[in-house]
Amino acid sequence: MEEYEVQFVDRGDREARFVARPITPAFANGIRRAMIADVPTLSIDTVRVIENSSVMFDEQIGLRLGLVPLSTPPGDFEIGDTVTLSLDVEGPDTAYSGDLVSSDGLVAPADGNVPIIDLKEGQRLEIEAEAVLDVGREHAKHQGGVAVGYRHLQRVEVVGETGEFDDDEPQILRGVIEEAAAEHAVATDGQKPENGNLVVTETFDNDLSKRYPGKELAVTDVENAFVFDVETDGSFTVDDLVVQAVGTIEDRARELKEAVQL
Amino acid sequence: MMVPVRCFTCGKVVGEHWEEFKHRTQEVEDPEDPAKVLDDLGVERHCCRRMLVSHKDLVDIVAPYQ
Repeated sequence: MEEYEVQFVDRGDREARFVARPITPAFANGIRRAMIADVPTLSIDTVRVIENSSVMFDEQIGLRLGLVPLSTPPGDFEIGDTVTLSLDVEGPDTAYSGDLVSSDGLVAPADGNVPIIDLKEGQRLEIEAEAVLDVGREHAKHQGGVAVGYRHLQRVEVVGETGEFDDDEPQILRGVIEEAAAEHAVATDGQKPENGNLVVTETFDNDLSKRYPGKELAVTDVENAFVFDVETDGSFTVDDLVVQAVGTIEDRARELKEAVQL
Repeated sequence: MMVPVRCFTCGKVVGEHWEEFKHRTQEVEDPEDPAKVLDDLGVERHCCRRMLVSHKDLVDIVAPYQ
């Protein structure tokens, strides 16, 4: 098995940015697609309405409930497994996602203060719902990864001086750069510039002329190094999402291998 | 009617921020700049920002005609 190097630039529970290398563009896109479409999450799928005297139709309430992310412990459920949740709110009050009561202690709404419906005096919403584990390919509500993307890691090299009478034009670059001209760089991120360091362009307002003042620059992509920008809807942490996504690729590769074996 | 639960384009959960956004930009005596509030709430992409900026609660208007 090949070894890959992963370096985190930002790391949070729900948002992270990391550099993975060496991977081919095809594999990078494979990971991205797996994160969006192949990692299963629990989402409300069937709703039994006991009473709904709110201003919205049952179907509208059903849609809103489906979109609420539910915490999904990785590995505990199989595709198609269900968990029952219930909600009972009487007006005047607002029904929030946090009012959903789950029958399984591990499953709960990831965000408790998503308004479902505003109830006036005398209105009531009582429902029972079945949350099912499925993948993003089936319905967008099962997408664990939100706005997952990647771009090349970039290397900025100093190729000369700018002319004495040149205009000070900003040189905008967004993303993450790999330091390659530390001796000319200004310490914009609070760290001593060192070749090979990863620098987020936001630390110098995405303007290269602030990090390398008065220099003529050349920007090149670093071959086979990709900066991933990953965000989850709260169903699980970024770590779980990435690990499960890579797991699904592995599973499918194994399936293919077995299928073509004689 | 009610604020959408998720951003139509990217799928980020934006509904949870609505009440704070509404309070800070519309209900207080000296309203804050919506752009600053959105930055504060961590709603960064413009697809998610338009969800909150362009939303209007209609439940109170519809309720009498139930």
